Amino acid sequence: MQKSVNKASERKAAYIFILPAVVLLAAFLIYPSLQTIRYAFTDYNIMRPDRIVFCGLNNFVELFQDADFWIAVKNTLYFTVLVVPFQTVIALALALLISSRRRGVSIFRAAYFSPQVTSMVVVAILWTVMYNSSPDSGLLNALLVNLGLEPCGFLNDPDTAMNSIIFMSAWQGAGYQMMIFLAGLQGISPEQYEAASIDGAGKIASFFYVTLPGLKNVIQYVVMITVIQAMKLFTQPYVMTKGGPQNSTRTLVYYIYEQGFQKRNFGYACAVAAIFFVIVISLSLGMKKIIKAD
Amino acid sequence: MRKRLVSALLAAVMVSGAFTGCGKTEERVNEDGESVITVWSPSDEPAIEEWWVEKIEEFNQAHEGEIELRREAIVRADSYAYEDKVNAAITSNDLPDILYVDGPNVSIYAANEVTLPLDDIFSEEEWNDFFDSSKQQNTYDGKIYAVGATESSVALYYNKDLLDQAGISIPESKEDAWTWSEYYEAAKKLTKDGVVGTNIIMDKGEGLSYVLEQFWISNGTDFVNEDGSSADGYLNSPEGVEAAKFLNSLIQDGYANIDPIQKEFHNGKAATMLGGSWEVATLEKDYPDLNWGVTYFPVADGDGVLTSPTGDWAASVTKDVQDMDAAREVMRFLFSEDNVTTYAQAISKPPTRVSSYDVLDEYNEYPRSIFKEQLMETGHPRPRTPSYSVLTAEFAEAMLNIFTGVDPQEALDAAAETTDKDYKKYYAND
Amino acid sequence: MTKKKTLGNVAFYLGNTLIALIFVSPLIWMISSSLKPEAEIFKGLNTLATFIPKAASFSNYVEVFERINMWKFIGNSLFYVLVIILLDLLVNSICGYALAKFEFKGKGLLLTLVISLMVFPAEAIMLPMYREMADLGWINSWASLIVPFVAKCFSIYMFRQFFMDIPDELLEAAAIDGCGPVRTFFKVVMPISGTVYATIFILDFVAHWNDFMWPLLVVTGEEKRTIQLAIQTFFGSKPINYGPIMASLTISAIPMLIMFIFLQKYYVEGIASTGIKG
Repeated sequence: MQKSVNKASERKAAYIFILPAVVLLAAFLIYPSLQTIRYAFTDYNIMRPDRIVFCGLNNFVELFQDADFWIAVKNTLYFTVLVVPFQTVIALALALLISSRRRGVSIFRAAYFSPQVTSMVVVAILWTVMYNSSPDSGLLNALLVNLGLEPCGFLNDPDTAMNSIIFMSAWQGAGYQMMIFLAGLQGISPEQYEAASIDGAGKIASFFYVTLPGLKNVIQYVVMITVIQAMKLFTQPYVMTKGGPQNSTRTLVYYIYEQGFQKRNFGYACAVAAIFFVIVISLSLGMKKIIKAD
Repeated sequence: MRKRLVSALLAAVMVSGAFTGCGKTEERVNEDGESVITVWSPSDEPAIEEWWVEKIEEFNQAHEGEIELRREAIVRADSYAYEDKVNAAITSNDLPDILYVDGPNVSIYAANEVTLPLDDIFSEEEWNDFFDSSKQQNTYDGKIYAVGATESSVALYYNKDLLDQAGISIPESKEDAWTWSEYYEAAKKLTKDGVVGTNIIMDKGEGLSYVLEQFWISNGTDFVNEDGSSADGYLNSPEGVEAAKFLNSLIQDGYANIDPIQKEFHNGKAATMLGGSWEVATLEKDYPDLNWGVTYFPVADGDGVLTSPTGDWAASVTKDVQDMDAAREVMRFLFSEDNVTTYAQAISKPPTRVSSYDVLDEYNEYPRSIFKEQLMETGHPRPRTPSYSVLTAEFAEAMLNIFTGVDPQEALDAAAETTDKDYKKYYAND
Repeated sequence: MTKKKTLGNVAFYLGNTLIALIFVSPLIWMISSSLKPEAEIFKGLNTLATFIPKAASFSNYVEVFERINMWKFIGNSLFYVLVIILLDLLVNSICGYALAKFEFKGKGLLLTLVISLMVFPAEAIMLPMYREMADLGWINSWASLIVPFVAKCFSIYMFRQFFMDIPDELLEAAAIDGCGPVRTFFKVVMPISGTVYATIFILDFVAHWNDFMWPLLVVTGEEKRTIQLAIQTFFGSKPINYGPIMASLTISAIPMLIMFIFLQKYYVEGIASTGIKG
């Protein structure tokens, strides 16, 4: 009896709890997203909102023959596959590094988070300078030449441009995931570590037997959002390479912006967005399955 | 309970929002019954902001009871931001009455009927006082769609000390402007000790089209044909490919950097640079120790056409205007002889009206005289085509691909094809 | 033993300091550039000297405050960002809690939806969203800056993941004490979840504080101009002077740093210290 009353009041509470979020999401995320998908079937040119003509699957047919689109798919996946493990590991390492209760830890925490606080304008200027392909002006190339190595093209070489962006993105983004890991580490009680150490576990063993299991839900979240954020890579190519050289850093979201706003082909951009949507959703749902099965 | 209240409130807010319907954001008539004319222009230097305040007050006093002029300063950022804002306003018919647009975009807005023809706002005599370069830029399909107060140009800046050391002399008149091979030889000689001979990359976006199109024109071709309907056979013509190859040789041979650091020339890291007319003021103000000069834009070998870039922001009247007579009154005011002069003075750019040069003496003296001379005699605006935004993005991409090793013919063919595809899709049947 | 400990401490501080320097270098460069005259900023970029101004001058800051009404724009940004965050923390935490701890019809569907919606890039829905704002008559209003960003899938999902870790025994104990589910959440769950709230606060604050594109589209005029829009004033026409840009960016970073320091305390306490786990 008691139980069923609880269940009923729980269900009522649940609906009240989700209502505001659901209403707002429906109004300001689902509705505009559906509009975007609708425009994918039109020849919407951003300059002519009065002359939108339905054009069936034309955009999609064109898309599948568009070499730039497929390169963007490839670049996006390449970036994601490399940056996600790299950045997640850095973030976790940073979080562990400063999770001890020593004096001054908060200063390091602020330092590691600071690339998030620094404007992308500054970050882009500075990294473009560091990556400059001439050893006379680039910090990294000056270093390479001093070490007796060949200077590297970095952002100006199609073979290294994406890797340069990956490295920089991991550096810039790690602080974000670090904060989430730190919050997660707070949830593991010191008693668990004490118990492990009584059982004779060393630092490494307690990392594998206490920390990692304790962070399971958090790691799941961090990996998921890092994948999604990586798939949405836009700002770095936008400010640093404009998708070049030779298409090597053109990502899907950059392509959406470029087609939709710069070239004003909004209908076509919406078609890219629709495909993007399908790719990322199947990816993230697949990931969810894998994690669940684990 | 409290939660329920909050969610109910949120829902109520949204429902009420839904019923307020299509609110026009631009007010067209104010409480006093005056016609309101709103202007959007990029936010600018303090001197220009003050110019606006002063002129708006002057205008509104003179037209009390009839017209109220308002101006919104829109941040421009990398210029795409401003365009994105305009694009958004177009989709919901929220445009102001008068809109400032960047030169090459005049044709895009005109072709899409976002802006209206303005031929009748000035008499023929008055129009004659405006520079041809500016009128050309603002003309689409035989009609004038925008009026600009200022112009810009690009010329070859040089570091006097470095040129003297290398024993290189500078042309005295535009007929003697450096040919491409002279320019190349100079850059070669000047490249040493961590200094590159020249700088040809103003920025990696619009700057590429703005500056480098002149190499196409000088070599006897252009980016597109006369009516802007085709890039194929122009952008990728043999002359065009030759121009691209010449520019690429400067990069590949190490006489110019593919990614120059900011202010490379200003800091003595480049011996020459293809730089804008606005650099004069910066060099005078912030780099007093640099011993620099300016000479004419280089010209192709043989029968090369003397040419130089031009173009600047200009004002258009949009389709959302309601009181055209009031808008015309405002336009006549903003681009009067007097106001063009004071505006150009405030922003320290060359004015578009010939008569302004009677007042602004500095343009009769070196170095600014070089820019005035180029504007009056050799200036060419950027291509006038409704597909310009595609063209310029494609050109920038093609050049950067060429500089990193792609075959020039191949890169330019691809750029021409994409540009023409856009024209055919949207404008060929208009 | 003490020797080993000292050695550990030295390694800890030395290692962290070195890594920290790499991370803060752009911030230092920004501050240092803001104190330099224009001609110095891009000089000697390939040497470490670029990180230290030769003679500090505040003239760039003076210019910033003369040219734009910095206080008003910081105030505007603080207002709308804080309103978004407070609503975000409330709306999304209750939704995330429902997803973590309640059984109800459509739960699986909602969770799938939350994950799927994280995916849609802002660049793709910006224009339809703008049209929606125009249809609602919200252009140039606080509503257009705030309301669309209150519900956030990232937050809902993160709250859900963290609330999953709260032991059911704790909630059952509250129920036995006569607490309804709503009361349990506000009286028991919220107080022990400070770290999660603080984390989302920080991440949200930084994201919205730096947002530029959306405020640009929906806000015209000075009345509701945000700090990022104001900074873009200095990117106006060519030539671009970087001195005032660096100064204004430095000023705009200060509220973020203050917020960050202010929320530090939630990282020392949190769930661990209450000992409800394990």
